[in-house]
Amino acid sequence: MRRVLRGVYALLGIMVAVVWVFPVYWMATTAIKPGRDMYAAEPQLVPLHPTMQHINRVLHDAAFWQALRNSAGVTAVTVVLAMAVAFLSAVAVARFDFGGRRAFLASVLVVQLVPHVALIIPLFLTLSDLGLADTLTGLVVAYLAFALPFAVWTMRGFVAGVPRELEEAAMIDGCTPLQAFRRVTLPLVLPGLIATSIFTMILSWNEYLVAYFLTSTPDRYTLPLWLTHFITSEGAEFGPLMAGSTLIALPVAICFALAQRNLAHGLTAGAVKG
Amino acid sequence: MAVTVATHAAAGPAPAPSRPGRSSRPRRPRLPLLLIAPAALILLLVQAYPLGRVAALSFQGWGLAQIFSDQPAPFVGLDNFERILSDPVFWAALRRTLVLAAAMVTLTMLFGVGIALLMERLPAWLRRVVMSVLVLAWAVPTFVSTQVFAWMTQQNFGVFNYLFGLGQHNWYINPVEGLAVATAVVVWGAVPFIAVTTYAGLTQVPAELVESARMDGASGLQVLRRVTLPLLRPVLGIQIVLSVIWDFQVFNQIWLLRNASPEPEYQTLGIYAYMQAYQGHDYGYAGAVALVTVLLLAVLLVVYVRQLIRMGDLT
Repeated sequence: MRRVLRGVYALLGIMVAVVWVFPVYWMATTAIKPGRDMYAAEPQLVPLHPTMQHINRVLHDAAFWQALRNSAGVTAVTVVLAMAVAFLSAVAVARFDFGGRRAFLASVLVVQLVPHVALIIPLFLTLSDLGLADTLTGLVVAYLAFALPFAVWTMRGFVAGVPRELEEAAMIDGCTPLQAFRRVTLPLVLPGLIATSIFTMILSWNEYLVAYFLTSTPDRYTLPLWLTHFITSEGAEFGPLMAGSTLIALPVAICFALAQRNLAHGLTAGAVKG
Repeated sequence: MAVTVATHAAAGPAPAPSRPGRSSRPRRPRLPLLLIAPAALILLLVQAYPLGRVAALSFQGWGLAQIFSDQPAPFVGLDNFERILSDPVFWAALRRTLVLAAAMVTLTMLFGVGIALLMERLPAWLRRVVMSVLVLAWAVPTFVSTQVFAWMTQQNFGVFNYLFGLGQHNWYINPVEGLAVATAVVVWGAVPFIAVTTYAGLTQVPAELVESARMDGASGLQVLRRVTLPLLRPVLGIQIVLSVIWDFQVFNQIWLLRNASPEPEYQTLGIYAYMQAYQGHDYGYAGAVALVTVLLLAVLLVVYVRQLIRMGDLT
C-alpha cells in the first residue's frame, strides 16, 4: 500500500515537472527550429534541425541592443537607488522610535493594495508635468516606487535582526558609530540586501505595463517593448519572438538559480512559528 | 510584479529574541525623518499623489479639450459615478473581473499548496527536479510566458491543438475559452511562488509536532488538517491576499493574448478603465472606474488591511 502510494506521488511529481517545464521547453526549442519545422502540420516535439537563424536575427537587430542597453541601465540604476533608499528607511524604522514611524510602515504596506493599472493614467499625467513621460528616468522613478515597499519591509527585518549589543560592543572596542555600522551591521544584513536587490532587478527587468504606457519613442524601448516588434496586425513572427523571449528570460533564470536558497529563506523567515 | 510578494510574506513576526524593546530605541527626532525622507518622497510622488489625482479626475470632465488646449477641466460632481451605475459594460466587466479573479486565486492556491505538500512526499532527487523546474518557470517574465502560451494555442500550428487532437481549433473566438487560456497563463506563472514559499514554510513545521500527533494516532489527513495547515495559516493568508491583489488587476496576460486590442468580452475592470482613457480619451470617467476598482479591492481586503495596521503597531 505504502509502495503504491509512493509510486503515485512520484508519478504526480513527474507530471508537475512536465507541465511546468513544457512552456519553457517549447519556447527554447521554437527559438532554434527552422520555419518549416515550426510551421509543420504536425508540431515536432524534438527540434531535429536546430538552426541559429532566429537567434541571429535578434542578435543582428540594432533595436535589440538599444533595448538591452535601456533595460540594463534602468535596472541597474533602479536596483542601486532602491537598495540605498530602502536601507536608510529600514535603519530608521528598525533603530529609531519617532513620530510617524507607524504611519510610515502602514502606508508602505497599504500602497501595495493599489493596482498599478489604476495608477497608470495619473502617473502618466504626473510624469508629463515633470517632463519625465517617455524617458528612462521616468521609468526608474516609477519602478523605485513599486520596489520600495517590499525592499523597505524586508530590509527592516534584517536590520532589526542584528542585535544592538553587537554594535555597542564594537563601539566600546573603539569603533565610531559609523565604523560599527559598517563592520558589524552591514555584513550581517548582506543576505537581505542580495535577496531584495534580486527581486528589484527582476521587477524592473520584467516590467511591461508601465513601460508600455509611458514610452512612445522606439529609442527608449525596454526589452519587453522591443519584443512586441515581432507582433504585427498580420500575426506574430513566433520564431524571433521565441528567440528574443529566451534571451530575455535567460539572465533572470540564472539569477534565480543562483539565489534559489536566498529567495525561499527571505520569503518565509519567521513566518511560521511552531 | 513578483516583487510585491515578499513584503507581505516577510511580514510575519520579526526574528525577535535579541531585539531591543521599543523603549530602548534612541529618540532623536530629526535623524530618522531624514532617513525615511527619500523613500517617503518617492512613494508620495508615484503612489499617493497619482492616487489623489485619480480621485480628483473622477470628479472632473477630463477629455480631449483638456489635452489639446489648456482648458481647465470642469467639475462635474458625481456625474462620472452616476454614469458607472447605469453603464452595462462596466457591470459586465466587474462581473468578469470577479469571476476570473476567483477562478485564478482558487486554482493557484490549490495547485500551489498541493504541489508543496506533494514535494514533501517525493524522493529527494525528484523533489530537486520539481523545485528547479518551478524556479525556472517563476523566472519567466509574464509577457514572455504570455507569448509562449499564445504560440502554443495558435490556431494552425499550436502544439496544444496537436497534443489534444483538436484540429485547427481557434481558442479566442469564444471569450470563455480565451479567458481560460489567460487563466492558465496566470496560474502557471503564479503557482511556483506559492509552491516554493509554502514548501519553505512546511520545512519549518517542527517534526516533533507531527511525530507526536502521529503517536497519538492521527492519520496523515488529520495531521494535515490539525497540525500542518494551522501552522501554515499566516503564510497561506498572505499568499491568498497577494493573489487576490494580483489577479483582481490582471491585465498583461489578456492584453497581450488579444494583441493589445481586447474585445469587449475580454475586458476586465483594469482594461476597461484603460480603454476609456486612451482610446475614448475620457480620462475623468476612466479615473472614476479606476477609483471604484481600488475601493472594491480595499473592501475585499478590509480584514487584511486592519491586520496590517495592527502589525504596524507591534513592530
